[in-house]
Amino acid sequence: MSTIVQLQSITKVYGIGDIIVNALAGVDLTVNAGEYCSIMGASGSGKSTMMNIIGCLDRPTAGRYYLDGIEVDTLPDNELARIRNQKLGFVFQQFHLLSQLTAWENVMLPMIYAGVPVQERRDRAREALVRVGLEQRLQNKPTQLSGGQQQRVAIARAIVNRPVVLLADEPTGALDSTTTEEILDIFGELNASGMTVVMVTHEADVARRTRRVIWFKDGQVLESNLSPKDVALVNAG
Amino acid sequence: MDWLESGNMAVKTLTSNKLRTGLTMLGMIIGNASVIAMIGIGQGAQKLASEQFESLGPNVLFVTPGSPGARQRTTFLPRNLVWDDAKAIAAQVPSVASVAPQRQSQFSVTYGGKNRTTLVMGTTPEFLIVRDFDVAKGRFINNVDLERNTRVAILGSEVAEQFFEGKDPIGSKIRIRNTSFEVVGVLQAKGSFLGSNQDDAVYVPLTTTATLLTGRTSPFGLDLSFISVSAVNEASIPAAEFQITNLIRRRHKIITEDDFTVQTQKDILRIVGTITGGLTALLAAIAAVSLLVGGIGIMNIMLVSVSERTQEIGLRKAIGASEQDILMQFMIEAVMLSAAGGIIGTGVGIGGILLVAAFSPLQAVVSPVAITLAVTVSGTIGLVFGVFPARQAARLDPIVALRSA
Repeated sequence: MSTIVQLQSITKVYGIGDIIVNALAGVDLTVNAGEYCSIMGASGSGKSTMMNIIGCLDRPTAGRYYLDGIEVDTLPDNELARIRNQKLGFVFQQFHLLSQLTAWENVMLPMIYAGVPVQERRDRAREALVRVGLEQRLQNKPTQLSGGQQQRVAIARAIVNRPVVLLADEPTGALDSTTTEEILDIFGELNASGMTVVMVTHEADVARRTRRVIWFKDGQVLESNLSPKDVALVNAG
Repeated sequence: MDWLESGNMAVKTLTSNKLRTGLTMLGMIIGNASVIAMIGIGQGAQKLASEQFESLGPNVLFVTPGSPGARQRTTFLPRNLVWDDAKAIAAQVPSVASVAPQRQSQFSVTYGGKNRTTLVMGTTPEFLIVRDFDVAKGRFINNVDLERNTRVAILGSEVAEQFFEGKDPIGSKIRIRNTSFEVVGVLQAKGSFLGSNQDDAVYVPLTTTATLLTGRTSPFGLDLSFISVSAVNEASIPAAEFQITNLIRRRHKIITEDDFTVQTQKDILRIVGTITGGLTALLAAIAAVSLLVGGIGIMNIMLVSVSERTQEIGLRKAIGASEQDILMQFMIEAVMLSAAGGIIGTGVGIGGILLVAAFSPLQAVVSPVAITLAVTVSGTIGLVFGVFPARQAARLDPIVALRSA
């Protein structure tokens, strides 16, 4: 089983004036291909910082980060942008769709930055939207879609460039429980077809749908391979 | 991301907020329209002026007394031009067709109870030919008038209208400087020339002017205000200029600086061109300020747009847009705004010129140079004023941008 995300002694220090915050204090973590894991922890535990570093939106202060075999912690901004484009897919709590574009155009967006030819772009975007069950909504703008449908468009956008890992930051945080189940079903299906999924969540119900839980506390990994069954336990303790 | 994609994206963004896009473009539209219109009006004035000069008569040269160099001379006093100079030019210069000596003064002219201070011009029959005037009624000065110092006057159309109000003036007596003159003719209207009305004048024989009105003031003969000369044809103008200069230098016994000036229509046109050209540049410069203000308007709106679209920028960066991609996107939006404003403004400006031309004697001059200039300048303004907001956008930290609500 190949390693997708490999973090070695990652630290992240924020300095705001004289106050220094150790957001991450020596994190070692490995995620293998095909895994479906969730990152949990109290707010301020460092899980969001972890997500930003895994997502190449931020660089660690110290430590090594290998993504799909490439050491990305030293890459310049433009290379990181390319890595995000080619190897990563993002799903956010707030969907972050562009309101002036249709669902189809939103999904095509990452391929525009990847330089995919127009026809292939259209075909692949349609495929991705079919995969999340939105083939009837290609020409709708985000305002004409429900929250769940918008998040599906966002998922289609995240997978359209065939990333090595799909990162989701509280993907169901803005959705009701029924829609949450639908979205989690899609993540489950994607994982079943081989997609590596890493999800940040604070909801035990959501984490329970994943197959591995990584528990953060005070900028460190408290438990790196918790079974979802035990989540309630840790939560209580 | 290529240019076509960026352009497509920019069009989508700009058309999604039409009111704002329109208002932003308005600044550029006004700026461009005023530049185009001002340059057009300036050039129209230039054209009008040169056409008025052409109406002076074909192939005209002017010999005027004095020159910049003569004023500094001390050993020889500068001489005035006299009638004999004019006669010599007519007799001895082969490239000259006709010569009209002219002596002018402002005098009070009265008829009935009416009094009017007007230009009184003493001249010879040749004046009609050289200056391309026509007689509307009666006759002009003839050689008998010159020989006998007759007290006859020919009225410019304006003077005739003022004094006689449509009645036939031929045979009436008018008084010039308290001397009675008989009106024998009226000239055809010629229009104004550089703002001075050529029809507001009274023509009398040159000899009569000298004896009865101005007096003889030069020891060298009957002195003149200037001499109008027409060359045989356009090609002979330089030759005429050269030959006249030589002749007068010899007659005035000049060995240093000339004490007279020979000006061709081209010389005068050049002077007028310099003046109207300067005027055009001034108008354009004033208009250019509004173009600048339009540019600042674009910068302002682009800055607002960047802060409004922080999340969009963060998202684009997260899914793989590089700093250059974001920079280019915002630059293209700015350039599109200003260039579109420039093109529309050009249309409005041309419309303005045509409107001015329809209601004034100015001619419509739509200068392709002005149009290229305005569109290029407004595009450049978009670039210049777009850079700052676009850099702001490109440098946004994606994490911060995504979290801003």
